[in-house]
Amino acid sequence: MTITLYDFELSGNCYKLRLLMNILNVPYAIHPVDFFPGREHKADWFLRLNPFGQLPVLKDDDLVLSDSGAILAYLAKKYDTSGQWFPDDPAVTAEILRWHAVADDISATSSAARLALGYSYPFDIEKSQKGAHRIFRILDEHLWFGEKAGRDWLCAPAHPTTADIACFPYVMLSEEGGISRQDYPALRRWTDRVRRIPGFMVMSGIFPAGPAKT
Amino acid sequence: MPLSLSDPTWYPIASSEDLPFRHVYHGQLLGRELAVWRADDGNVNAWENRCLHRGVRLSIGINEGQELKCQYHGWRYANRSAGCTYIPAHPADAPARRIENRKYPVREAFGLVWSAANDDQRFAPFPGAEGHDWFALRPVPVNATPEDVLAGLSRLAPDDQSVEFIPGRAVTLGSARFFVQPVDAARSVIRGILPEKPADEIATLRYYNEQLTKLRDSLERAAAKKPAPEPLQPVFEKVSVELSTMPDIAVPRGNTFPVVVKRKWQSADGVIGFELADRDGKHLPTFQPGAHIDVHLPNGLVRQYSLTNGPGDLMRYTIGVKAESASKGGSKVLVETVREGDVLAISEPRNNFPLRRDATRTVLIAAGIGITPLLSMARFLDKSSLNYELHYFARASQTMAFSSELDVLHGRVDRHIGFTREAIKAKVAEVLGPYQFANHVYICGPGAMLEMVQATAAALGWPDDAVHFEYFQNDKVIDASSAFDVELARSALTLHVPAGRTILQTMREAGLTVPSSCEQGACGTCLTGVIEGEVDHQDVYLNKTEKASNTCMMTCVSRAKSGRLVLDI
Amino acid sequence: MPKAPDPITRDLWHVVAATDELKIGLIETTLLLDRRLAMTRGLDGEPVVWFATDEENGDDIDADSVLDRLPVKTAYGYTWTCLGTPSAELFPIPEFAEADRVNMSCGSIGIHVSAPRAVENFLDMGHFPYVHTDILGSEPHTEVKEYDVEVSEERDEVLATKCKFMQPRAAKSATQAMEVEYVYRVPHPFCSVLYKSCPEDESRRDVIGIFLQPMTEETCRAHLLQSMIDSTSTITDLRRFQQTIFGQDKPILENQYPKKLPLDPRAETPIRADKSAIAYRRWLSQKGITYGVIPQAS
Repeated sequence: MTITLYDFELSGNCYKLRLLMNILNVPYAIHPVDFFPGREHKADWFLRLNPFGQLPVLKDDDLVLSDSGAILAYLAKKYDTSGQWFPDDPAVTAEILRWHAVADDISATSSAARLALGYSYPFDIEKSQKGAHRIFRILDEHLWFGEKAGRDWLCAPAHPTTADIACFPYVMLSEEGGISRQDYPALRRWTDRVRRIPGFMVMSGIFPAGPAKT
Repeated sequence: MPLSLSDPTWYPIASSEDLPFRHVYHGQLLGRELAVWRADDGNVNAWENRCLHRGVRLSIGINEGQELKCQYHGWRYANRSAGCTYIPAHPADAPARRIENRKYPVREAFGLVWSAANDDQRFAPFPGAEGHDWFALRPVPVNATPEDVLAGLSRLAPDDQSVEFIPGRAVTLGSARFFVQPVDAARSVIRGILPEKPADEIATLRYYNEQLTKLRDSLERAAAKKPAPEPLQPVFEKVSVELSTMPDIAVPRGNTFPVVVKRKWQSADGVIGFELADRDGKHLPTFQPGAHIDVHLPNGLVRQYSLTNGPGDLMRYTIGVKAESASKGGSKVLVETVREGDVLAISEPRNNFPLRRDATRTVLIAAGIGITPLLSMARFLDKSSLNYELHYFARASQTMAFSSELDVLHGRVDRHIGFTREAIKAKVAEVLGPYQFANHVYICGPGAMLEMVQATAAALGWPDDAVHFEYFQNDKVIDASSAFDVELARSALTLHVPAGRTILQTMREAGLTVPSSCEQGACGTCLTGVIEGEVDHQDVYLNKTEKASNTCMMTCVSRAKSGRLVLDI
Repeated sequence: MPKAPDPITRDLWHVVAATDELKIGLIETTLLLDRRLAMTRGLDGEPVVWFATDEENGDDIDADSVLDRLPVKTAYGYTWTCLGTPSAELFPIPEFAEADRVNMSCGSIGIHVSAPRAVENFLDMGHFPYVHTDILGSEPHTEVKEYDVEVSEERDEVLATKCKFMQPRAAKSATQAMEVEYVYRVPHPFCSVLYKSCPEDESRRDVIGIFLQPMTEETCRAHLLQSMIDSTSTITDLRRFQQTIFGQDKPILENQYPKKLPLDPRAETPIRADKSAIAYRRWLSQKGITYGVIPQAS
């Protein structure tokens, strides 16, 4: 197998795949795409790979995939021998897909605010920020009650799933969109836990957590 | 009542469970952001959320267990004191200046963590606090003024129940207490507690969370309809002039303070351990690994002892004292006459043996009582997961001090017992190996051992600046052949110091009272500021940087290279 | 109402866009010194900049129809303008004109911090192991050795030389840490240029510039320039490297308080490694810059 990731370093959606592949120890090559300032994701050659003109795209031999959530599911199903990152259990599958959808909502708000403030995208900053806070409130509540019930991750299993990977980057990058996480202490603790998953790697803009107490 | 930056009231700023180990909580009270973190020893720190160096939030830093590490430049700040213990950009220097972050009073009680803007009020439990095992509800942040939130909470009371306000923006509703944390002018957190953990924990928590969430939504709807008050404008306190001028050094004066002997015990054959603590139970000043204190003994002598403590461990200083010391009346007094409960005067910690934390490999070599500073170093390296090995040479296993402390280290600790001189030398050579880049060795032990390790290291190609040791005695031959004038600036006196006499003696002969102790350039008591002239340093108290600064000297042994010295006396 | 910029700042040339990224005939708007500007390029490719009215909103325009124009200069691939009376020249980067160099913009990135804070971060080496971990530095090699700083009278710029830092992988071929030498210039209150040992040609240096567009006192846009001796990497590779570095600085800068750079020496705690920053702060103070800084109380 040869995996190629069409990648932009500063993209949280691309990072989701780098992160999971690193955790699963899956080797891959990077094909850098000049998303900014070159707008190469709108170039003809890229649109042939993904007509939606969005990063990331992943090629596994001849198979071409796009959408970070879909690719996370693919990578977990194909390369996670433990079966824990995307379990087969129907209820858990539904749960994970539910959080993949939340991850897209986080992108549409937190990532949009970041692109508007940092990269001059014409998005409505205030609306994006408000939207992100609305999601973060629910996330914080979900994670707070999770901690009370002994659940460390977004979904029910004792092991993290692709749902955690999908939601993590644009939660961590929210401050670049002017969205403080000060009011979400349980969400902040969860980001510590994600950063302590064995095989965790950073992206530009995200710092590692120190080691846990032994 | 509008919020005031100087409001001395204690408010809850977090739940206890918001502070797991190795996490930094991002808090705020009365407009001031806080970095709140629990150390591995359980202590909770509430600091201004801003590194003194470049103003970066400490809440994005790393809780290393007993020290907080700033994310920008890796500066380490100690648990309890918030004192800076290490500046990685200058790894060979002990941060000589007292760089200390601003900290706020903090108390953990009733399931919550409490803080206040200043020390003006003592922490006092709210009425009816005692006698319960309080249980914290999920805190609910609200974007509304604390006043409106408090009013909103009081409306939650059923019509047939009276609302009881309690001091500190709090209200009693049934058995529950709700506190309003004034985050900022238009931001609050509702922190509720129940007197006991309820039988159906999750259901109860859900119930209150729903009630408070509904209240939050209605308060925020109301707040959106009126102009929000301006956020509070906290002022960042300025650092001292001394810290701002980037001086090369600032040698602490020999200030002493009293400590009580909390514990005295036999750590090994011939080694007595002492634990010294503040009399009022406060923490002691920040120290760095390798630091020592001067202990002022009941018979008037001053002796130096290395601290064995690990990072952020400031509730007591632990030293080890050799029982049969050759120094008459020194350690002997400590061992034989000082008892638990006695009060001693000690100096603030000083560091002439700084530990670099930028080595790829650190070798610690201890002989006998020399284990004490190296134990401290090993503990710091251990907490930072840095690569080190500790080699401890002793005549017999029963003379090895601090054994249980060494046992809990994660690094390599090798005990070498009963070796001959030749065997020690061979072992040291084997341990050191040929010099490699970014390796450092630290030695503490008898003079002969120091010399042997230095010679061995040199033969293996180790450069001088990779071989670290410290002197507690000045074994150098003092060259007193120079003659020069000293001008005492504050006393408006000029004296001639002839060959064979010290500056100290000359000043005393002129009728001045000048403090001194060891009179061999080792204790620091006669430290004097230098205004003009070039100093001929002959002491072992000042470190290289301090000597090079030419701003201070020890008048008991050091002299002048220039014809004239102007001293700040 | 924001305060008017000090006269020195008002009369400076300020960067506003990478010239190539301005589309001919399409209006883009941006902020400079609290003023909203509109910009485009004419059919001749030359940039045109003017004070925005409410009418421009991603619209098409014939640049010739713009009458009330602000002064414009193009240099180092970027468009510069001035809200006051500009000087004739912009600071020199002679290397930019060397024929075999690969010159490129690396994107214009908004940051929630003042322009001078971003300049100061650019001059700083001590953060390499902590912020640019495994790229520009890595623990345990954290030492900032003594280096030289001067304010060049002749060129009126801050110059830091003999700056050395241990870098884990200075070049693609390097297998172990090696010391890299840097020279930093601050030739403009809101711009800095660094020169770094070039792996491909020992006799020359790669040049990296950061030009800050002060949008407001507490926000700016960083325009990055690379002028490299590199015959193997693609533009995309080189941009990616620079953006990775800058993306790592961004969260640090955005977590810095206060957002404006304090010029009072007692506001923060400098160490010897900060010599260049101290010189920069003094230089700003002496020039009388008050925009984006907290001036020293007299």
